[in-house]
Amino acid sequence: MRTVQSTFSRALRGSRRPWLLLPIVLLLISLQVGTDYGVATAFAASSQRGAQAGQARPDNANVARLRQMVREGKLAPTVHVLDSLPPTTILQFPLVPSGLKSKFPDATALVTVVRGDRNDSTSDTVTIDVQKMPPNITFTIFFIEIANKPFGNVEYVADLTTRGDGTGETIFHIITLVAFAMDARNPGTSHDQEGQASGIQLEHLGMWFAQLQDAQKVLNDDTLLGTIFDGGNPPLHAGPQAMTDGQSSPVF
Amino acid sequence: MFHSIEHVQRHRGFGIVVVCIALLSLLASACAPQPGAQTGPGGTKTGGVAGGTAQTSSAPTFPTTPPALRTPSFGSAGQIAPTVKVLASVDPTLIIQFPLSPSSIKTLFPKASGLVTVMQGNPAISVFDTITVDVQNMPPNVKFTVFLIEIATKPFGHAEYVGDVITRGDGTGESTFHLITFVAFAADARQANVTSADQSGDASGIQLEHLGMWFDGVDNARKALNDPTIAGTPFDGGGGALHAGPQAMTDGQTLPVI
Repeated sequence: MRTVQSTFSRALRGSRRPWLLLPIVLLLISLQVGTDYGVATAFAASSQRGAQAGQARPDNANVARLRQMVREGKLAPTVHVLDSLPPTTILQFPLVPSGLKSKFPDATALVTVVRGDRNDSTSDTVTIDVQKMPPNITFTIFFIEIANKPFGNVEYVADLTTRGDGTGETIFHIITLVAFAMDARNPGTSHDQEGQASGIQLEHLGMWFAQLQDAQKVLNDDTLLGTIFDGGNPPLHAGPQAMTDGQSSPVF
Repeated sequence: MFHSIEHVQRHRGFGIVVVCIALLSLLASACAPQPGAQTGPGGTKTGGVAGGTAQTSSAPTFPTTPPALRTPSFGSAGQIAPTVKVLASVDPTLIIQFPLSPSSIKTLFPKASGLVTVMQGNPAISVFDTITVDVQNMPPNVKFTVFLIEIATKPFGHAEYVGDVITRGDGTGESTFHLITFVAFAADARQANVTSADQSGDASGIQLEHLGMWFDGVDNARKALNDPTIAGTPFDGGGGALHAGPQAMTDGQTLPVI
């Protein structure tokens, strides 16, 4: 560095036309600006990766609270609370094959739930990504009381149709982190992450074959029975559960 | 580099070249993508005035003839509430609308009104419906919960919490949700034999074919309605049992609206 500076000073002193250095300086500045922009862009793109690796974690009390709940077993150990700036909360948890397990053992899914400000946001956003699923099949998505049979109270929230390569995704906007079922004639109470709450908490998520015939064909099993896990006529036209969070403790 | 500067002292022409290089580099910097700008496929820049799209390649073919509209059927006479309007749309989309009227807020906010618009795309491939709730002349700066319900008025029966509407200072507000609506139902999977009739015939579970709005906090309701005796209800999630207020708006119909 000192060599460069001294060379520069010598050049300045020896120059009969110092104004000629101006374009050089401008060139250097413009290159520096470009470099800074590139660095900033790269930092923005990698900030999440860096944060996940334990660097520069943002201070978010709700994130800390939810992570503590995972450690205490109040949320399932599969739940990953992502770094986020307050007031946003982001949860992720995987789904594993249930009814699909014998034919599609590698089927995977990742559920991402994003909630904004507890007081100002009007719904949560749920994204479900799946891979290695039966291709070109529509699955129904339910919030459920219990992850596995008998499932208990349920709420039908959306569908997901896989592509030919077995991948798929769906995004929907609905109350999720405080979802509950109730009959207002006798609502009852139950515990959620905030304490006692009205109704029966729906803190699990599962995917079902929308059509029994699809399930029978995909799973090569004509003895499968219809289930309630799709809306509309006729009753029990849905197939078995395909994917589950599989947890005893709540995932949201 | 500084050897070049000495060289410039001897060759004025070379200095001009350097000036040109500097200017070109500044121009390149100015043309480089800026933070916040988005580049679409094929290098097309998106954004700008009124969400317009500036095309850098050949212009796409834009339809000049509007597609034919039709008003599809929705349920049958005596099966759907008379307040439901089916809007004209392009096949296979279905759009219905129905009003909400004040229930508990009727005395103090008699002009409160709501309009619910529900859209369904192609039932074979769409993965949810879209509900938009618009309200006017409501209590200002209050949060209301929105539920799909079995019965429009008390005792309401089974209910599904779908979203919130927060009114502005002028009593207006709106919210849009994406979820299963036209075939929404409540069920306990341990009782799979429970069925009920919807627009397509018998279906699993108990159909949720009405919509209502509730004060999300009983304190807000007591303040807005100037009545400290109002009791809490279960129509909000989390935050303590029975912390919600009374129903504020209802479709008020006996027959289904969705």
